[in-house]
Amino acid sequence: MEKFHNIGTSADWLVMLFYFMFVMLFGSYFGRYNRNTKDFFFGGRRFTWWLIAFSIVATGVGSHSFIKYSAMGFNNGFSSTMTYLNDWFFMPFFLFGWLPIVIYTKVQSIPEYFEKRFSPSARFLATILLIFYMVGYIGIGFLTMGSAMLPMLPESFVLFGSNFPVTLMGVVTVIAVITGIYITFGGQTAVIFTDLLQGVVLLFAGFLLFFLGVSYLGGFSIFWDMLPAEWKLPLAHFNKPSGFNFVGIFWQDGIAGSVGFLFMNMGLIMRFMATKSVDEGRKAAVFNVLFMLPLSAIVVGNAGWIGKALSIEFPDLVPPNTVPDQIFVVVANIVSHPGVFGFIMAALTAALMSTVDTLINATAAIYINDIHRPLIKAYSKRVNTVKETDKKELFAARIASVAITILGVISVLAFKNFPTIYEAHGYFHSTLTPPLVVAIFLGAFWKRFTPSGVIASFVSGVALMILGSNYPAALIGPFDHGIVMDSSHPYTYIRALYNILVCLSIAVIITYLDTILRNITAKWKKSGTDRKITNILIPVTVIFFLLTSLNITNMPVSLALALINSFLISLIVTSRVKYDAVRNTEGLTVWSIQKAKEIFKGSKINEAEGKTVKVKFKIKTDDNSDTVNFSFTEMEDMAAEVGDLVYISDARKYLGGLKSVHSVYGEPHGEKGIVYITEDHLASGLFNKNRILVAEKEM
Amino acid sequence: MPSFYHTWLPFIYLYGVGGVFFVLGLIFAIKSNALNLKKKKHKYWLRVLIFGYLYFMFIHAFFTIAALYW
Repeated sequence: MEKFHNIGTSADWLVMLFYFMFVMLFGSYFGRYNRNTKDFFFGGRRFTWWLIAFSIVATGVGSHSFIKYSAMGFNNGFSSTMTYLNDWFFMPFFLFGWLPIVIYTKVQSIPEYFEKRFSPSARFLATILLIFYMVGYIGIGFLTMGSAMLPMLPESFVLFGSNFPVTLMGVVTVIAVITGIYITFGGQTAVIFTDLLQGVVLLFAGFLLFFLGVSYLGGFSIFWDMLPAEWKLPLAHFNKPSGFNFVGIFWQDGIAGSVGFLFMNMGLIMRFMATKSVDEGRKAAVFNVLFMLPLSAIVVGNAGWIGKALSIEFPDLVPPNTVPDQIFVVVANIVSHPGVFGFIMAALTAALMSTVDTLINATAAIYINDIHRPLIKAYSKRVNTVKETDKKELFAARIASVAITILGVISVLAFKNFPTIYEAHGYFHSTLTPPLVVAIFLGAFWKRFTPSGVIASFVSGVALMILGSNYPAALIGPFDHGIVMDSSHPYTYIRALYNILVCLSIAVIITYLDTILRNITAKWKKSGTDRKITNILIPVTVIFFLLTSLNITNMPVSLALALINSFLISLIVTSRVKYDAVRNTEGLTVWSIQKAKEIFKGSKINEAEGKTVKVKFKIKTDDNSDTVNFSFTEMEDMAAEVGDLVYISDARKYLGGLKSVHSVYGEPHGEKGIVYITEDHLASGLFNKNRILVAEKEM
Repeated sequence: MPSFYHTWLPFIYLYGVGGVFFVLGLIFAIKSNALNLKKKKHKYWLRVLIFGYLYFMFIHAFFTIAALYW
C-alpha cells in the first residue's frame, strides 16, 4: 500500500490555523449564552428548524466522515453513498413516535427514559451500554481525524536532538486536547452555532473539491465515461466482497445504524430537543434526511470517485494501491492550489471536531443526568440551592467532558487495526447498537414490553452477541445471505442482523412469559422466600454470564446457559422490580402521545389552530409568575386560552430563535399589540428593548 | 453488464425489506393516533412521508439506469 507524508505547504497550515482560531472564537462568543446546565446541554429548547437542520450537517457529515466514504468511493465507486440514502424507512417511527415521546416526557437522556418506562436497573444497564456506544463513536471520530492529519505531517520530527516518529496515536492525542479544551468552555449553544457555520463551509468545501476534481479531469462527461459501470451503480453488489456488500451494510447501517443514529445518538437527539417545538424538530429531521444527506453523500464521497478516475488516467500520480483512508487528502492536494487545500482540510477537520465535540457534550449530559445526579441524591446529605446545584453540575460536566475525551482516545486502540475506518465503524455499529435499538424500539412502540424483557435482552442479548463473535460460522452464518466469511474480521456488517434477532427474540419471549414469571414469583412471595431465592440467583446469573461471554465452555453449553440465564434474570427482575403497567407506559409509548402532551403542558390540550402575532413588549413589575399577558385581540388571533403554552421570539428570522422564551398565557388585557413579560423573561430571552417580538401558541 | 446481484436485487431488497419497516411505522403512527389524519398538519406530514419514500426510490432507480445505459 502506498502511504503519503508531508502533503501540503506552509500556506495550507496557515489557512488551517486561522480557520481553527476563527471557529473557536465564534464558538466562544455563543458560549456566553449558557447560563445553566439546561443551556449547556440543550441550548434552551428555542431554535427554529433551519438552524438545527444546518447545524446537523456538520455532525452527520463529520460522523460519517470524508475519510471513510472517500476510501469506500475509491474502492467501490458511487455505492459509497448508500448509507446516506437509507434513513427514510424509520422516519414514521421517529417523527411520530420517538421524537414527541422524548420531548414531551422532558427526559434529559435516553437512560432516564428507561427508568420512567421500566425501572432504575434498566436505566443503569442502558447507561453503561450508551456510554460504551458514545465513547466508541468519539473514538471513531478521533481515529478519522488522526487519519486525515497524518498524511500532512512528516514521518518524524527532531526535538532537542532526539528523533520522534509521528504516530497515529500521537496525532489523535494532540487533536483530543484541542477538542477537549473547546467543548469544555463551549457548551451546546456554542456547538450548535459552530456547527451551523461549519455545515455551510463543509458543503461548500465538498462541492468545491468535486468541481476542482472534475475540471482537473477535463469535464463531467470525461469523468463519467472514465468510470466502469459497476463503479457508477448507487448500490453495492448484493453479497460481495465481505468488506463491502449491500445486504450486510443494509442491516448494519440501514437498520441498526439508522435507528441508532436517529433514536439513540444523544448528540443528534439533543439537537432536536433544542428546537422550539416538536413540529420544528420534525421539519429539521425531514429537511436533513431529504436534502442534506443526499448532498452530504456527494460531499463526503466525491474525493474517492475523483481518486478512482485519477488512478485510471494518471496511475503515477495516484497509484491504484494508495491507502484508501488517505485518498481524500491525496486527491484534495492534487486538484487544488496551496491555501485552497488548507481550506478544504480545515473544513474537514473542523467538521470532524464538531461531531466529536457534540458527542462529548452529549456523553457529559448522560454522565450528569444518569450517574452524577442519582449518586448525589443517594449520598449527599447537604441540601443546595438551585443556583449552587447548577454551578456544581456545570463544573462536574466540564470535568466529565475531559474524562470522556481521554476515554475516547483510548478507544481508538480498539479500532485502529481494521483495514479501513469504514469497516471499523461498521463493526462498531453492528456490535454496540442492537441491544439498545431493540430496547428503545420495543419500549416506545410495544406497551406490553416489560422490565424483565428489557433487562434479559440487555444481559443475555449481549451474552449471545459475544457468543456469536466467538462462533461466527455456526451462529451468524445462517443469516449471512451468501456473504463469504472473512476469518480476520468475520461478518463485519451482517452480524448486525444476528445481534438484532437475538436481542429481539429474548425481549419478546420473556415479555410473553410474563404471566408464568408472575405466578412463580407470587408463590415465592407467598412463602416468604422471594428475597432468599433472588439473593442466590443473582450470583448464579453473574457466573452464567461470565461462562457464556468468556467462552469457557463449548458452544452448545454456552448457548444453553445464555438462554437459562435470560429466564433466571427475568425471574429476579419480576420479583424485585416494582412495575405498574399503566403508570410506566402512560405518555411513554406511541400509544399515549396525547397523554404525554397533556403531561407536558400540565392541563388539557387546546387543539385550535391559531396564527402568529407581532407585538411589542413591556415589563410587568407586579407579577413574577412565569406567565405573559397578551391583549384580548392577540389571544383570539392565536386561538389561545389562559394556561396554554406560548413561544415568543425576536422577530428577526435570521436569529433562528436565539433570542426567545417559552412561557404560559396569563390573563389578557386591553392594550392591543403589547405583551407584558417579566424581568426573568427579558433576561432569559435576551430580548432587546424596542424590538418587535413574534408570538405563537405552542399547544 | 453488471449482474442482477449488483443492479436490481439490492434495489428490490432495499425498498422491499426497508418498505416493510416504513409501512409498519406508518401503521403504528396512524393506529396509535400519533399521526392523526383528522388534523390538516398531520395529513401534510403523511404526504411528506410517502413522498420521501418515493423520492429515494426514484434517486436509486435513476442512478442505476444511468450507470447501466448512459
